[in-house]
Amino acid sequence: MGLDPRNRKRAWTRREFLRGAMAGGVLASSGMLLQACRGWPWGTETFIAKTAGYEGDIASVILAGFRELRVDPAEIRGKTVLLKPNLVEPHYGAGPINTHPLVVRGAAEAFLRFGASCVLVAEGPGHNRDTQLVLEESGLGEVLIEDRIPFVDLNYDEGYTIPNAGRWTDLAALTLPATLRRADWIVSLPKMKTHHWAGVTLSMKNLFGVMPGIYYGWPKNFLHWKGIERCILDINATVRPHFAIVDGIVGMEGDGPIMGTPRKAGVLVMGRNLPAVDATSARIMEVDPHKVAYLAAAGGQGPISEFRIRQRGESIASVRTDFALMENIPAQRGLRLS
Amino acid sequence: MTDGTRVRAEYLRLVRPQRLMFSSSLESLRQRAQRDGGFANLAGGEYRADATAWAILALSTAGVAKDLIGRARASLANRQQGDGRVCISVDHPETYWPTPLAVLAWQGSPAYREPLSRAVRFLLATAGTHWARKADSAITHDTSIRGWPWIADTHSMVEPTSLSLLALRVTGQGGHERAREAVRMLMDRRLPKGGWNYGNTSVYGQELYPQVENTGLALTALAGDVPPEEVRSSLNYLDASIQSLRTPLSLGWGIMGLGAWGRRPVRARDWIMESFKRQEKYGPYDTMLLSLLVLAFHARPGPTGVFGKMEGRTDGP
Repeated sequence: MGLDPRNRKRAWTRREFLRGAMAGGVLASSGMLLQACRGWPWGTETFIAKTAGYEGDIASVILAGFRELRVDPAEIRGKTVLLKPNLVEPHYGAGPINTHPLVVRGAAEAFLRFGASCVLVAEGPGHNRDTQLVLEESGLGEVLIEDRIPFVDLNYDEGYTIPNAGRWTDLAALTLPATLRRADWIVSLPKMKTHHWAGVTLSMKNLFGVMPGIYYGWPKNFLHWKGIERCILDINATVRPHFAIVDGIVGMEGDGPIMGTPRKAGVLVMGRNLPAVDATSARIMEVDPHKVAYLAAAGGQGPISEFRIRQRGESIASVRTDFALMENIPAQRGLRLS
Repeated sequence: MTDGTRVRAEYLRLVRPQRLMFSSSLESLRQRAQRDGGFANLAGGEYRADATAWAILALSTAGVAKDLIGRARASLANRQQGDGRVCISVDHPETYWPTPLAVLAWQGSPAYREPLSRAVRFLLATAGTHWARKADSAITHDTSIRGWPWIADTHSMVEPTSLSLLALRVTGQGGHERAREAVRMLMDRRLPKGGWNYGNTSVYGQELYPQVENTGLALTALAGDVPPEEVRSSLNYLDASIQSLRTPLSLGWGIMGLGAWGRRPVRARDWIMESFKRQEKYGPYDTMLLSLLVLAFHARPGPTGVFGKMEGRTDGP
C-alpha cells in the first residue's frame, strides 16, 4: 500500500535520498540530522486550539496560533496571502463538505491584522464547474462580499508550467494557476475529513484544488489517473505552501469527502509544515499517519512522527475524536491508530 | 393613462433595461476580442480556444459583430492541430476538450467546412479510457461504454460527452455509432433518482448528488434521442432546481436543457436578466458564462435548441 520512494521517476540526488530515506524510516532516529537537511527551523511545530463552534472569535484563535508558532508580523506585513479553502460541491442539508466560511473569514482577518496588504481566496472546485453556485450554497460568497475579499476561480486561471519538483508521478512538469505567482504566502485551509480514495483529506490533499480544471479536467480526473497519492506529493513539493489551518470544528467521517457524516472534533489545527499539520490532524482523528500512504511517503516534505513534531496548544490526547472509518473502503481499512 | 402611455411606461420599466443589459453584455464580449481574432476569457486576458468558440456562438446567435465572428473563426482554425483537435494550449495537446465547441462555432460557415470536418473526424476517432468494470469495483456505471473525456487518456465524463454528441448531431453525424454509443453512455451515467453530475453515479454503494449544469447539458444533448419517460425524473429535478437558481452556468444549461424537451420556463428571459444583473455583485462574468446566457436567452424550444438553429446558418465566413 505504501508509496515506495524508490519508485520515483528519476535518479535521486543525495539530498533527495536523505528525504526518501526518511519516508522509509531508515534514518528515523537521527532527527537532528534530518531536520538540518530539510531546513525546517520551525516546521516541526503544530498548534491545536479547542474551538467549540463557528460563532466564536476564530481570528483571535488563529492569531494565538501565530504567536505560538512564532509567526512574526514582519513575515506577513505588506504581503499578499492566498487562502485556499476546500470547496468541493455544495448541497443543502448535506454534511460539512466544505471549509466553513467563518474559518475563511477568521483566517483572512488574522492575516490582515498581521499586516497583510492583500488577502485573496482562491479555489478550483473539483466536482462542480459552477463555482458561483459553490460559493453561494456554501455561504462563502456572502462572507467574501461582506468582507470585500477577492475570489479567484483557479479552474479557469491562466496557467504557467514549471518542473515537477516531486517526481512521484511521471509528469515532468505541472501547470499551475498564474494567481499562485501573485501570492507571497499560500495557506491551505482544508476541512478535516475522511476520504474514500486517499484515507484522509487534510491540508496536503486540499492542494488538488489549485490545479486548473481546464488543464486537468473535472473532477481533476487527469490527476486521479496519475495516482492520487503520488499527485498529492508532487503538487505539494512543487507549490510549496507556507501554512495550513485545518477546520476540524465540525469535520466529516465515514464515506468522505462528500457522502460522509458530520463529526465534531472542536479543533483548529495549524502550522507551517503541512505533513506535520496533517499528521497531527490524523492523530486527532485516531488515524495513524504512518498508515496513510501519502503521509507515510511525505518525509521529504516534513515530519510525521509524533516525537518529531513539537505540539503547541492543546495536547492531541485532549481532543482526540475517533472519526469513523469504513471497512468496505480499502483506502480507509487498517488506518486506525493502534 | 392612455394605452400608448401605458405601453411606453411598461417598455421603459421592463424591456429597455433588459435591452441595455443585453447590449452591454454583448459589448463586454466584443471588448475581449484580440488582435488576431481570438477571444480572451476575461478582459485583458490571453487567447483561449474555448472562450473564442463561446464568443462566436453568442455573437452569431445574437446576430451581431459579423466581422468579429469571421476573424474569430479564422483564429480557431489557425490554431487547430493537424489531426483536427482544438486545445486549450498548443503546449498541451492533451487538453482537447474545446474541440466540440469549435465544431459548433464553425458550423454553418461554408469557409470552415474543412477544419470542421477534421475536428469531427478527430472526435469520431477519439475516446476516453474505457475498460470492463470488475465485479468488486467501487463504482457502478458501465465503464466500457465510450464517450469523450476532458483530457486525453482519462475516463469519459458527462460534459465533454454531451458537447461532443451535440457537435456530432448538428453536423449530421447523429446516427454515427459513436453518437449512438454516447447516448447509451449518458443514459448509463444518469443518477437513479434523476439528473446527472460530472460522471459518477455511485461510489461504495452511495448514490451521488446530481448537479444542475451537467443535467441541463446532458438533456440538451439527448433531446429527441431517448423517450421522454426515460428522462422524466431528470427533467423534474431540473425544473425544480432552477426555480431559485440564478448562477449563470447552471441557469443557462438548465434553461436550455428544459427547452430542448419543450419545457422552457415561461419566465426564462426574466431569470436570465436577473443572472446578468448579478455581475453588479460578483463582477464581470467570463466569456463562457456571458455567452451561455446569450444562447439561453435566444434558444428556441426543441431538440438541439439554439444549436439546431445553427444547422442551416450561413452567416458569412
